[in-house]
Amino acid sequence: MPVASESDEPVGTTPAGPAPRRARRRGGAILGLLKRFLTLREGSIIVVTLITLIYFSASTQHFVTIGNFKTLLPYFAPLAIMAAGEVFVMTLGEIDLSIGAVYLFTPFAFYELATHGIPLVPSVIIALLLALAIGAFNGWVTAYVGIASFVATLGMLFVLDGLTLVISHSEQVNTPGTSVVHVGTFAQVFGAGTYTELLWAIGIVIVLQALLSFTRWGLYTVAAGGNRVGAAEAGINTRLVVVRNFMLSALTAGLVGILEAVRTASITPDPSGSNSILLQAIAAVIIGGTLMTGGAGTIVGALVGALFLGILNDGLIFKGVSANYVYLWLGLAILVAMAANVYVQRVRRGSGRE
Amino acid sequence: MNEQAYSGEHIVPPVQAPDDVLRIEHITKSFGPTTALRDVSLHLRKGEVLALLGDNGAGKSTLIKIISGFQKADSGSMWLKGEPYAPKSVEDARSHGIDTVYQDLALIDELSVYHNLFLNREPLLRPFPLLNNRLMKRKAHAELNRIGINIPSIDVPVARLSGGQRQAIAVARTVSGDADILLLDEPLAAMGAKEGGMILDLIARLKEEGRVSIIMILHNYAHVFASCDRVSMIGDGVIALDKPTNETSAEELNELVVEQYRRAREAAAAEETTAIQARSNGE
Repeated sequence: MPVASESDEPVGTTPAGPAPRRARRRGGAILGLLKRFLTLREGSIIVVTLITLIYFSASTQHFVTIGNFKTLLPYFAPLAIMAAGEVFVMTLGEIDLSIGAVYLFTPFAFYELATHGIPLVPSVIIALLLALAIGAFNGWVTAYVGIASFVATLGMLFVLDGLTLVISHSEQVNTPGTSVVHVGTFAQVFGAGTYTELLWAIGIVIVLQALLSFTRWGLYTVAAGGNRVGAAEAGINTRLVVVRNFMLSALTAGLVGILEAVRTASITPDPSGSNSILLQAIAAVIIGGTLMTGGAGTIVGALVGALFLGILNDGLIFKGVSANYVYLWLGLAILVAMAANVYVQRVRRGSGRE
Repeated sequence: MNEQAYSGEHIVPPVQAPDDVLRIEHITKSFGPTTALRDVSLHLRKGEVLALLGDNGAGKSTLIKIISGFQKADSGSMWLKGEPYAPKSVEDARSHGIDTVYQDLALIDELSVYHNLFLNREPLLRPFPLLNNRLMKRKAHAELNRIGINIPSIDVPVARLSGGQRQAIAVARTVSGDADILLLDEPLAAMGAKEGGMILDLIARLKEEGRVSIIMILHNYAHVFASCDRVSMIGDGVIALDKPTNETSAEELNELVVEQYRRAREAAAAEETTAIQARSNGE
């Protein structure tokens, strides 16, 4: 990114002449601000997303419209919620590969409960408790049994995919409490309203970012992700931190599963679709600025990462790029965005030595 | 059989003093086939600064970790202010007033100086479960000023600090707690003379206050004689020497180390001979 390379100039430089000095100083202040913004963990992905947005709105017509924003929503809002939960796991230096499978399984659990005489809202609650139990199991296997989270959650992924196919007989079902002709209060709250998922996403991002930045839960997550032994020596129960963060990521994935089921009024047992969402959620987390090695994470960054993926996907379709090319461009764009991220991180580290 | 053979080497019987805050009796600890502590007895008086010496791998750090609740002894007993003391965890030890600076510092590189200082005892904005960052920053400033530690900014992640500054933060974290027994594992490692001087000054100040009692693992004899009341040396899994610093000298400590080396070499040679004999007998 050219913007960042210009800001390599030291901020405090004062040239000789009075007139150019003032101009340079103003330029320096702007560069300083820009540098401070870029050194935010989320800074680089925000810039990359804005550039993408400007590119698509300049090269296509009617890109920045309410109508298009509405078509973008169902793509990015669920991703943002799932990514928010995953941030907590990845900040620990762990990974949860089962969120796609939890996203697939939870609505079927909800369906089974609701079609066996349990009222809608209690069915949702029980289904989400099941998701929490899955997360607790993932965390327990990782923290107490000592299996690498990559392997543990990969196993869970297949178990849940298989379980979903078995209980659904691989047949699509209609979501209880929804109907194509009338959107009731339940459906309105759990995903069917135009902005319902956006509101859930914004609410969850605010709450989870606050949890990560301003509470002991978040502080201990960063501590256990940065130095697990050190955190334990300081007396932090790092195993508990691992378990509850896996529970959180399973909960958000299960919730998104139900929101999407209610929004589309049908539940489809399609593991390839859910695994694609898993990978995109992880992509959103990483390009949002969360370190895969742990010790640093941002929910807002993951939200912007999801927005970036949404804009890119939507923009490519808008530009009339052949559907066959969308993944190709998506992949290349992710690589470019990540390269920009690494570059900006280097600038950030450099600024730290001042 | 081993215990019988070694009991004679227990040169210094544990001395009892009425103002002991911590007494350790016959602690043993093995890691698989390796015996780290064979039979260690130690005591710490109120307000005292005790230097713990010993060769690398002599078991000093293991002993510190047992006292601080991070590891459990295989056998033996500990007494804290006259009460039986068997910490279940670091947390438990801390609630008994025992706190530690570990060799690997236990600092979290990614967290700011003030978050590290208050790690696991963060003040909250009651009734909300939110971190009281402002209070932490203010207290961190006050604490670091009191100790005389100069840090460029308490907002920066500790990854950006020098080795000495990091050590200073780790020591500051321990002494700013409610602990009355401090365990310092090589507090002066990785420190320049100036920064090391700051820590020695701090320890002198704490000794003057008389509130805390300190066990320090040290390597440099100059530091031992500059700031410690008494010195205990671990050798071969037992306490090989236990004397007030004014009754011993660097020479005596050195001779003891040399003697330990000689014995270790002899033991290794003897073992080899036995092994060779066993092998030739077998053939």
